[in-house]
This record gives sequence, structure tokens and C-alpha cells, in this order.
Amino acid sequence: MTVAISSFAVPWDLRRRGLKDSIRHDKRVREAIKQNLKELIAEETIITSDGQKVVKIPVRYLDQYRFIFDRATNGRGVGQGPGNVGDVIASDENGSAPGQAGDQPGQPIYEAEISIEELTRMMLEDLALPWLEQKQKDRIKTEAWRFEDIRKKGSLANLDRRRTLKQSLKRHAAMGKPKVGKIVDDDLRFRIPEIRDEFHSNCAVYLLMDRSGSMTTEKKYITKSFFFWMVRFLQLKYRTVETIFIAHDTEAAVVPEKDFFTLSNSGGTMCSSAYALALDHIAKHHPPARWNNYVFHFSDGDNYADDNARCLTLVKDLLRVATMVGYGEVNYNEFFSAYTGRGVLHAPPWSTLLREFKALDHPRFLAVTLEKREQVYEALREFLKVRES
Amino acid sequence: MFEHRVVEIEKLARDLGLHPFDTYFEVIPLDIMHEIAAYGLPTRAQHWSYGKVYNHHKIHGEMGLSKIYEIVLNNDPCYAFLLDTNAEIDNLLVAAHVFAHSDFFRNNLWFDGSNRNMVNEAVEHARRIDEYIDKYGLDRVEHVMDIGFALDRHIDSYKGLNRKKYPERQVIEKERQPVPYSDLFGESQLTVTTQVIGDKIPPHPEKDLLWFLANYAPIEPWEKDVLEIIREESYYFFPQFETKILNEGWASFWHAEILNRYANLTPSETVEFARLHSSVVQPGGRLQLNPYYLGYKILVNIKERWDAMHAAGESAQDGFAKLFEVRATENDISFLSNYLTPELAEKLNLFSYGYVDEEDDDAHDIEIKSREYDEVLRALLAPHYNYGAPKIVVTEVRQGALQLAHEKGSLGDLDVRYAEKTMGYIYELWKNPVSLETTRGDAPIKFTYTQSGFSQGK
Repeated sequence: MTVAISSFAVPWDLRRRGLKDSIRHDKRVREAIKQNLKELIAEETIITSDGQKVVKIPVRYLDQYRFIFDRATNGRGVGQGPGNVGDVIASDENGSAPGQAGDQPGQPIYEAEISIEELTRMMLEDLALPWLEQKQKDRIKTEAWRFEDIRKKGSLANLDRRRTLKQSLKRHAAMGKPKVGKIVDDDLRFRIPEIRDEFHSNCAVYLLMDRSGSMTTEKKYITKSFFFWMVRFLQLKYRTVETIFIAHDTEAAVVPEKDFFTLSNSGGTMCSSAYALALDHIAKHHPPARWNNYVFHFSDGDNYADDNARCLTLVKDLLRVATMVGYGEVNYNEFFSAYTGRGVLHAPPWSTLLREFKALDHPRFLAVTLEKREQVYEALREFLKVRES
Repeated sequence: MFEHRVVEIEKLARDLGLHPFDTYFEVIPLDIMHEIAAYGLPTRAQHWSYGKVYNHHKIHGEMGLSKIYEIVLNNDPCYAFLLDTNAEIDNLLVAAHVFAHSDFFRNNLWFDGSNRNMVNEAVEHARRIDEYIDKYGLDRVEHVMDIGFALDRHIDSYKGLNRKKYPERQVIEKERQPVPYSDLFGESQLTVTTQVIGDKIPPHPEKDLLWFLANYAPIEPWEKDVLEIIREESYYFFPQFETKILNEGWASFWHAEILNRYANLTPSETVEFARLHSSVVQPGGRLQLNPYYLGYKILVNIKERWDAMHAAGESAQDGFAKLFEVRATENDISFLSNYLTPELAEKLNLFSYGYVDEEDDDAHDIEIKSREYDEVLRALLAPHYNYGAPKIVVTEVRQGALQLAHEKGSLGDLDVRYAEKTMGYIYELWKNPVSLETTRGDAPIKFTYTQSGFSQGK
């Protein structure tokens, strides 16, 4: 019967494991994300995270599996308070069951916070724009310096205010009063620029999107996912790349990036309009003598039949001024999917642009077909495979 | 002096009839508290899943969303951990609470046979797991632990921790003495009957999956040891699972009784104690009953009823005597079935709830299903059966293939995705096809896991 500060004779390496195991957990989260990139790449919360640098990903991939009851059973329980039988008293919009009478060990749903940059790195780091050549460097003379490092000493102009305040907060919290208080020298954090040799090839990427009436929400979503990651990839790997967004129905127009992803769709389809515009734009702004031009076009291939021949000619022209032309055909078919519950696996019975392009046998023309969201990842990897020139 | 007052509290507890283990208190900082809460024991084998829970406690604790007041371990001597930042009155209440838990551990029937030396044995487990990690690598050991944890609720508390393997196949010959005068019927020789035992594995549906796989799956000795460590710790925690409501109710009842009798409190401490007590036994959310509250309310109700019956001469036991009997003999299932009366359930305004459309996997709306006592009780008991997990048994090993069955009873269907992954785990150990018979609604369905993966059919 003692009130004692007892001590178990336990070696220290066996105690204090929380931090170690939590680091291990974080590592497993990253691994799980890596293994599920295919699904994550089409994750709605990420694609729609306009401008946010950090996204939250629900880590259902790291569930601890065991035999459990189904959703309906887990949704049952006993509650308390007023109300009549049949009254709707709650809704689990976020998809988690309300949980039973507090006798289950907490099964919190984890959301891993991860920056889009890190996610892009994981997905696409080993990829590159294919056949990139050193062209004349006259245009790009960027001093490629970036803030890469945080230090305690530095020029006041480079003070990182956010981190400094955070330090102050942390220091006060450590003293038991979490607040942003007086800032002492030790709190100061400076961003330190580093000058780097950046990739100096001139590179322009044309992203062409079909916005005609036949591009349904799902098709647009797939296209949007592809371009979203393409832009992230380019921003990550090449600082000096120009992206040109062209949207078309029967006519094509160069649009700003932010509008590109929010365009409504209508009208018929004449893919040649986009190719013609790209050709024109290349001639005016990005002559192949100095520029590596890449053209990626996404469409459902549902083109006006008499336009197909013109497309073929124009793509041949494009291949003369571009390093590579990629064509992605989104084949998702709502009619079939209503039956099978998934994207249809056969080509529709009518002719598509893709078939026309079959006639085109050129090593730098690449075409892929996409039927469902998960294939965006494969399409990206196919287009951006590192190739020998 | 805090220590002195805790001694006084303990004396009060013992005078009131509690009979706890010797109890050691350790006053620790918040971070260590989170850590012990995550692991369930002060030192335990490492696994990433504890890191997940630790993170959760830490984030919630630091953001002030939840606070762990105390941890008490079923061990002889009993160990309890108090938070160093708590006010003294908080820790006094917690100490009284701890003595009642300690009494419960010691005297409740369902804790009989539980390992009272687990605090030290878990250290030994941690050491062994560390050795395996050194030898076989973190990834491999961790993976076997993943499998073990996936099955750790599938144990058989009635068969106990230490079991012999099933008898080997053998033919037993039994001689029967000839019945007198049998020679008259031409049966002059001794009659020999043969009986084959150990022919079928398992001889009866086996519910202790961890034990079965540790003993009958073709695995390496260290893998078997890892599974047995997990199984042993799971046995240790089982009585706490099956008495959660009663145990917390009991501790809450007694911390109130004890501190109400404790004369050595200042007026402001008395106010603070009352505030704290009422926050411990608050009802909880609309969809979530607080087990402290539920257990406490039922115990208070028992005391009132038996005091009244005793006064009226209808019962030899008074309220306290009845409470001690309940503490000695009940677990949550029997406690709720026997003592949550229809009147009390109505007074507590209980109802059962569920999805409006249970067939629809996209349904989100939850409605009140019933206020009928039988329905409410059934819904209340459902999560308490079989360690909260669906009951899965091994029925047969046929030509090397492991056959499992889901004994559903009145409980729900299995989650298929989880079943698939879990069967994959079992397949990894068993290394031969594994099948599981269950039903979806009333329709029988069979899951199979083979080399080529998971499939389901009739």
C-alpha cells in the first residue's frame, strides 16, 4: 500500500516507442499512397483542390483488416434522447458509421496530409518529356534561384514570417502557455535562396482539349485529371516550360489555364481546328529551331467524319514542327457502363479519330485509349516514358 | 500531502468493503500517458499500428479535444498512472476510481485466470519481437504481426490460453467382458470394439483461429511465437472488453461514494469534485452512450431497488450487498440483460437506431428504429458478443484445404472487402486454399481464397 514513483526495471530501448512507431506509421502511409497512386491520381479531392498546396487524403488503404460486420450492421446502435420511431436523427455524409456504444477501441479515420508537389514527385519523378533536345538557349536566361533552405540567420528581407511565428508559438507552448508572444532571436527563421542550374531546353507544351457536347462529365473528368497532373509534372521538372491551353469544339481558341479546367461544353467536334491553331501558334511563337514543342490532345474521338482526313494531314504537319504529338482517346461509354457498372471495354461501333490515326505510322506519334479514371496514370507514364532519341 | 491523502482514500475504500490489489501509482507527464494509452501496457512489442493510435491521442490531447485522466492495469500489484498536470483533487478522484477498478480486477469472476503478471510478461514479449526483427527484418516480422492482429479477436475464452493439441489419430480398441450367459448365444470370446479418435481435424468447430493456425499451419517457429504472443496479450485484454460497462460503472459509483465520505476536502475541492464526477458520468452523445454513464446509472438503480426491497423485507440483501454480488459475478452481457430494466431503459430514453435503408450501401440517413425494450436490449448487446467480432470457426480440413464457417446467429453479414483481405492473411499462413461459408441476408454464399486470389460463389 504505497504511493510510490515506482520504476519498472525496463531497459530504455524498450520504452518510449510511441515516436518510433508513429514514424513507422507515417512511412507506411507514404508507402500505401505510393502503391495506390493509380487510384489516387483520379481522386476527386486532389483534382479539385484548386490552388491548395496541401491535400488531405483519406488513408483507407492503411486499414487494419480483420473480419468485420458489413456497413448496415455497423450502422446500428443504441442512442438516447427524444424522438419518434422513424425520425431521421443523423446522417453520416462522410461515409463513416456512427459507431457503437463506446466499447469499440477508437478506429479513427486517418487523413494523411501530403503536398501536391510530393505526390507529383512520387508519381512522376522517373518520367521525362521524351526526345527533348538542346535547342538554342537565347531566350531563356533565368537565374534559377529558389528558396530551398530555412536557417536561423539570414537577411531580414528573407524573413519567413509564418515559420517565425510558429517558432514563437512552439516556444511558448513548451513553457505551458501556447500563444504567439514576444519574438526572440532564436525564433527567427530565414529563407535561404539557392542558385541552381536549371534545365535550359526551351520547351512548349500544347494541351488540346475537346469541349464538344459529346464530352460527358466523366470523359472531361478523365481529361482534366490527365492535364492536371501533366501541368503539375511540368511545373515540377521544368522551370522554363511554356504551357498553352487550347480548347475546341468546331472552333478552337487559346484559353487561360484557370478557364481551361472550368469550361462548359457544347457544340460539334472538329479536331482539325485545334491542330490548325496549334500549328499557327507554333509558327508564330515557338519555331522548332529553338523550341521543343509537345502537343497532347484529348478527345472522345467522336469527330465529324469528313474532318478526319484533314486531321491526319494536320497532325503530319505538326509532327514536322513538334518533338512529339500525343493523342488520348477517352472511350468511356455511359450507355454500356449503366449495364456493367464500369467503363466499357470495347470500342464503340462507330468510327473514331483513333482509327484514322492508325494509318499514321510515325515513331513520335503516340496514341492511348482510356476507359476509366485509373488509366490516367498509365497514360501519363506511357506519354512521358524516358526514351532514347 | 497528496501521498498521505491517497492512503486515506485507500483506507476508506477498504473500510467500505472494496478489496483491491496493492496499488502503485506513478505520476507521469502527458506524453507518456498518451504512449501507455496507445499501447495498453507500459512496455509492449513495437508495431506501427500503435504509432497510429499514439499519434491520434497526441493530436487530440494537444488540441484539447480529449484528455486521458488515468490508466490502470490489471496486474498484481496493480499499477496506475496519473497525470502530472492534473489538479490534486482530480488525482484524488482518479485514485478512488483506480481502487475500485483494482477491486474489480481482483474479484470479478471473468478476470479469474487472467494473467496478473502481464506488465512484466509484455516486456519479455517486446524483447522477443525485437530479437526476431534483428534476425528476420522489420518488414517480415511486422507482416506476421499484421496477420496476428487481424485475427486477435478470434480466441476462445472458455477453452483457455493453454491448450493441448487435438489428439493424434489413433485407433482405440476396447475390450468388453462377455455378458454372463453370452456363451449361450455363441459369443464366447471377448468382444472387441474399435474407436477412431483424432480422425477429424478439428474434432469440433474451432473458434480459436489464432491457436489453430499457430499449431496447425505450416509456419516457422518464430512465426508461431509471434502469433502466440499476440494471442496471449489478446486473452489478457478480453475480460476488460467483456466487462467495460460494468467495470467503469463500478469505478464511477465508488469514486463518488468514497469522496462523498472523505472529510478531508476543502470546500472548493468539493465543488470541483462534484463537477468532475458529473462530467465523468455524463450521458454522451445522441448516438453514443457513455459506458461510464450507463454502468453508473444501472448500479445506482440496483442499489435503490435492493435497499427498498430490503427495507420492505422482500430481500435479505441490502443495496450494497447486492452490488458486491453483481461485481463478483456479472459481465456486460449478463449485467445488461439482468439489470437494465424496461423502466430504466425508458427513463434513460434509450432507442435503437440504424440506416433508414439498410439494403442501400449509399444510404446515409440514420433513423430511430425502435423504442421497444427487447429491440433496444438486442441492439445494445450485439457489439458485446464474441469480442465484438463476427464468429468464425474452422469446420474442417479437407484435402489440405481449410474450411471456415461464419456462425452468424442473429448478427449481421460480413464486410466482403475486409473478409477478402483477412482470408488472404489466413491463406498466407495456411498456404493452401481457404474457404468461408456465410450468408448474405438469408442466401448462402461461399468465399474462397486460393493461389489465384479471392472469389465468391454459392
